[in-house]
Amino acid sequence: MRQLTEQETKTLFEKLANYTGSSLKNLIAPLDDSPDADRYVFRLNRDRVYYVLLSVANLATSISRDNLGSLGICLEIFASPGKFSKTGKFRLHITALPILAEHARYKLWIKPNGEMPFLYGGNVVKAHVGRWSDDCPSHQGIVVYNMSDTPLGFGVTARSTAEARRLDPTGIVCFRQADCGEYLRDEDTLFAS
Amino acid sequence: MAPSRTRTIKNKHATNKSGISSSKSSKGGPSDGIVKSKRKGPVLSKQVKGKNIPDLLKKKKKKVYTEKELGIPELNMITPVGVTKPKGKKKGKVFVDDKESMTTILAMVQADKEGEIESKMIKARQMEEIREARRIEAEKKEEEKKAKLDETKESLRRKRKRTKHSSENDDGDGIKEVASAGTKATKAKKKRVSFA
Repeated sequence: MRQLTEQETKTLFEKLANYTGSSLKNLIAPLDDSPDADRYVFRLNRDRVYYVLLSVANLATSISRDNLGSLGICLEIFASPGKFSKTGKFRLHITALPILAEHARYKLWIKPNGEMPFLYGGNVVKAHVGRWSDDCPSHQGIVVYNMSDTPLGFGVTARSTAEARRLDPTGIVCFRQADCGEYLRDEDTLFAS
Repeated sequence: MAPSRTRTIKNKHATNKSGISSSKSSKGGPSDGIVKSKRKGPVLSKQVKGKNIPDLLKKKKKKVYTEKELGIPELNMITPVGVTKPKGKKKGKVFVDDKESMTTILAMVQADKEGEIESKMIKARQMEEIREARRIEAEKKEEEKKAKLDETKESLRRKRKRTKHSSENDDGDGIKEVASAGTKATKAKKKRVSFA
């Protein structure tokens, strides 16, 4: 387990900033005003980056890398383990959804008839969209909710809001990147690669 | 007994390679190995010394490069590979964990993203405006075309009326003829429609 380098931190923030607004800075803000206040940090163990309390991360140093299954919230997984600094290819993990949902900039609400298709790994079609944040550009990270405001996953917009209005009902509005169905579908590899 | 035998075997191989003349001397050697080592030691040192002195003299004479300039370690010691630090390379990963540097990186990234999104939005708006303008233009053109068509239709109708009223005897134009020819008027109409 180690800390992130400058480049790694930058790429991580860039990925997160795709989905979140300016409130992202609260992510690393100290919990209170005292000088030695606890705060959240990022830690890399094997091929995963975790968002974890500094005090917990310090405690976790007593466990060897191989024996450490998971700690804190897993934010991302690298596509090619061990080559992060070279390729920088990684994807945000579904377990990062609570953090993204909390700070989301653009949101998409889907109707009850669109929930299951999305949770089975499908993209969001226009017919299933209940509501949509205004003025959303295309190819922008977006968090997907159901109509009762429960976050279901996240994706990338296929069209801007204005363009989507002219789209036919079967046209894809949002490309899925992660959804809560992964908790069942990828149960084996979710917490251990 | 065993070690002495092996020694002799090894020496035999060596003698075969080196030659017959030296084999005799080599056979004598292993029987008293201490003597051999004593002989080798001083010879080597003498040779090194013999080489070093003229080399040093040459260096002193030339005085072109100093040892520091050549990058040779001052003491001629063997250094393990892992201990030597490569020149001009960073020593390791630079970690970022303090709050200040993290917030600065975050601020930079966010500013970049904001700008990116804003430029995307501006671009999208501009594209939307252009599309709207094009649509309006196309609509105008359609209307103009329609108006022109209506005009020509009207003018043709008027012409026909005129011909009906004015000249029944005119034989100049084929159309007029057809128009005036009662039963054949329907054919003329068809032609006109297809032309329009």
